[in-house]
Amino acid sequence: MKQIIKLKVNGNMEEKAVHTHHTLLEVLRSEYKLFGAREGCGIGMCGACTVLLDGQPMSSCILLAALAEGKEITTIEGLSDPGKLHPIQQAFIDHNAFQCSYCTPGFILSTKSLLAENPVPTVEQVRTYLAGNLCRCGSYYKIQEAVLDAAARLRGEKQNPPLP
Amino acid sequence: MSLGEALSMLDAEERVTGHINYTLNIEAPAMLVGKILRSPLPHAHIVRIDIARAQRLTGVGAVLSRDDFGPHTGYSGRYGRIFCDQTVVALDKVRFVGDPVAAVAACDEDTALEALSQIDIDYEEIPAVFDETEALTPTAPLVHDPRPEQQPMFSKMIEDLPGGTNLCSHFKLRRGDIEEGFCQADFVFEDTFRSPAAQHVPLEPHVTVAQYARQQLTLWTSTQMPHAIRAQMAELLNLPLERVRVIVATLGGGFGSKGSLRLEPITAFLALKAQRAVKIVLSREEEFVTVCKHPATIRIKTGVMKDGTLVARQVSANFNTGAYSDIGPVVARNGGSAMSGPYRIPHVRIDSCAVWTNIVPAGALRGFGVPQAVWAYESQMDMIAERLGLEPLEFRRKNLLCDRDLFATGEELSNIHFDELLDRAAASIDWSCDDARWLNRTEPKQKTVRRGKGLAMVIKATITPSTSAAALKLNEDGSLNVLTSSVECGQGAKTVLAQIAADAMHMPVRRISVSDPDTDLTPYDQQTSSSRTTYSMGGAIREAASDLKRHILDCAAENLEVSVSDLIIEDSQVMVRGTPQRSLSYGEITRLSNQGNLFGHGAFTTRGGLDLQTGQGIGSVHWHQGAIGCEVEVDIETGKIKILRLSPCVFAGRVVNPRLCELQLEGCAIFGLGQALFEEMAYGEHGQLLNANLSDYNIPSFADVPLKFDSSALEHAGSEELHGIGETLLPPVMAAIGNAVYNAAGVRIHELPLSAERVLRELSRANMSRRE
Repeated sequence: MKQIIKLKVNGNMEEKAVHTHHTLLEVLRSEYKLFGAREGCGIGMCGACTVLLDGQPMSSCILLAALAEGKEITTIEGLSDPGKLHPIQQAFIDHNAFQCSYCTPGFILSTKSLLAENPVPTVEQVRTYLAGNLCRCGSYYKIQEAVLDAAARLRGEKQNPPLP
Repeated sequence: MSLGEALSMLDAEERVTGHINYTLNIEAPAMLVGKILRSPLPHAHIVRIDIARAQRLTGVGAVLSRDDFGPHTGYSGRYGRIFCDQTVVALDKVRFVGDPVAAVAACDEDTALEALSQIDIDYEEIPAVFDETEALTPTAPLVHDPRPEQQPMFSKMIEDLPGGTNLCSHFKLRRGDIEEGFCQADFVFEDTFRSPAAQHVPLEPHVTVAQYARQQLTLWTSTQMPHAIRAQMAELLNLPLERVRVIVATLGGGFGSKGSLRLEPITAFLALKAQRAVKIVLSREEEFVTVCKHPATIRIKTGVMKDGTLVARQVSANFNTGAYSDIGPVVARNGGSAMSGPYRIPHVRIDSCAVWTNIVPAGALRGFGVPQAVWAYESQMDMIAERLGLEPLEFRRKNLLCDRDLFATGEELSNIHFDELLDRAAASIDWSCDDARWLNRTEPKQKTVRRGKGLAMVIKATITPSTSAAALKLNEDGSLNVLTSSVECGQGAKTVLAQIAADAMHMPVRRISVSDPDTDLTPYDQQTSSSRTTYSMGGAIREAASDLKRHILDCAAENLEVSVSDLIIEDSQVMVRGTPQRSLSYGEITRLSNQGNLFGHGAFTTRGGLDLQTGQGIGSVHWHQGAIGCEVEVDIETGKIKILRLSPCVFAGRVVNPRLCELQLEGCAIFGLGQALFEEMAYGEHGQLLNANLSDYNIPSFADVPLKFDSSALEHAGSEELHGIGETLLPPVMAAIGNAVYNAAGVRIHELPLSAERVLRELSRANMSRRE
């Protein structure tokens, strides 16, 4: 059964006919062709499908699409203007805070939420906040560096290096 | 200066914006969704299978079952890299819980699942065997009967054996005289160690899209072995090689799981039958029943002199390869040939077997048999040190292999750095002889949280012989395409290969583009595995660059009207020696050649192999070497282990990209940490996997990795030799932690993982025996 719902994805409000039992992840991937959120575990454990709902990180693989109506949905594709990078993204590049990068959009969006709540996180706070995002390649140390660096950049303490 | 530069990955921007294209994202016109029906039983004959109702459902494009295979169809449906023991779908019987029995391609997932539920199957259950030791008893049920045929190309590597047993393969290594060795020894110690099944858990699951049109099969598939997949699919479909095209996008992790044929056969036959493109994406639960690390039981008997000199080692290892052999016999061989460790032992006898059972098939997993081996021999090294009252670091040092020593395979070693690696690992955790529990004369403080340090070392082969080929295409603007079939799994292959090409071609990395594998376009490569890409494909690229530079110089010489010997290459141009103003850029030379492009081709081949009866020969073109130090905290009231420090040290030859190298070292150590502390596929008594999800099967998170982490890559001054570093430091992690736990809490655990429950159980056992 399909239902017409209004979703606001990356700032654009659109009506979509979606199956009532489909998750937000399925809808983002199949209807919007936004491939930055990915299924890793399908049960909300790994964080690879993380999107922001009104700024809060959520596992889109266990959220029915219809329940996201009326919320601001931000995916990795909506984090920055096309052709530009968010300071968190730039910090992840500069530290190469990934290997296969399947988990990277989830980590970056969780970091966005962390730094909105806590602009000056300690190492422990970074680790605790991001413990729900899994990186199987084990890039945690570089992620930690990138997050602390991004926090400094967002506080204006460090300028982004110019893009090559 | 592109070698040694800590560049971020060249495609980093696509990775942080979510735009990078995994196979998961691939769609083809009119594509159907494929789903697999799996066996609920561990071992059963298929009495009847009825797909008629499923086929009649609206939206179903094809239903695949055993009726599609056999002489009447022209397709045998049988495949396997070493033994032809696997089938596209079950033909006569099912052999493990999760074995594919049938498959459906339908317009959407819901329809496909509905169709699966309409397939009617009658099974006749038969006795099953799950444990590798039990499977070798004479009364054990046979998983394969008759014995499956061996693929001829492996006949020199794996000995064929008689049927009537679950013994799949038997690797033998014979060096010296083992009886004589044990006679000489002052002490002989025998211990048994076990490793359980563990899963790779690449976050991107296996994905295959298959399209069959005009008798050509195109596969977009998440594989680490595009050319091997092409060859096996061509054989399955009775097609010549050029009719099968395998295209591989960047992988969301592989770790060995994406090696052998996985989804390709079932997806291709669905596409053939439906005459439509079909895509299959595995769920996480299905990932767990597709391939895993070999559970292994290893009995190790070591003879040693009073002063700590090792004289003899006998090993009997059984690797549980599950229902299908996959690459299991080579895993058992690789683990087996490594079991003398980085030590000089004159008398060695190793028997390392792969065994068929009714559990999930085991295949390659980062470390390839060596993690199981190191868990056994490095745990035992500490146990022997304690029994002899020796300091474990000095005990190891006394026996370490050096240059010109002979390895257990009989080959002479060179470029050996164990001494320095051991020193680094020990120094990084401030190891002192007091850290060995049995040498510590201070009174134990009655604390509930105890600290301990541990060390472990590893020697590991890279697949030998092996072949990689590469082509370089110089464009009219002076830019360069590297055509390679090496797969980007997240290890940074594309970036590292670009750096090697840039160095060899004297041009900037930013003018170089490295291809994705496409068997229609990119030259042969054996596989992206065995930590071989940087070394082997890097070698092929260097060869190709020499070839291309010859063409460039010939063309430049003709146009500059000088002889080649008067020319030098520098900064993407060719100059006349002494008169640098007479020069031509790569772009100008390509245009002047009137050939469109200039091409260079190169191949890199290593030679070697081991004798089937003695395991003597060349086991590896060079040896991967590493050492790890770690410090842990054990809460003796809860059994919980906390890793405080982890210091992996690897011999890296020449590091191409220090940042990516660090990531590999960190990744190896963290992967090993998971297997050390909690990763275990748990089976119920009827062979059902109990924890096939990421809630019940945990992988390391930020909460598990130590705050102090200090990796180091030892470079060999003056050498241009590249060493793979993608696996070396995983195998010793488990034993280093196990040894540290012993030094902290006094409990020696023989079976992985070192779960809190197991530690607590051993602690209470130790307390009981102390009271008695």
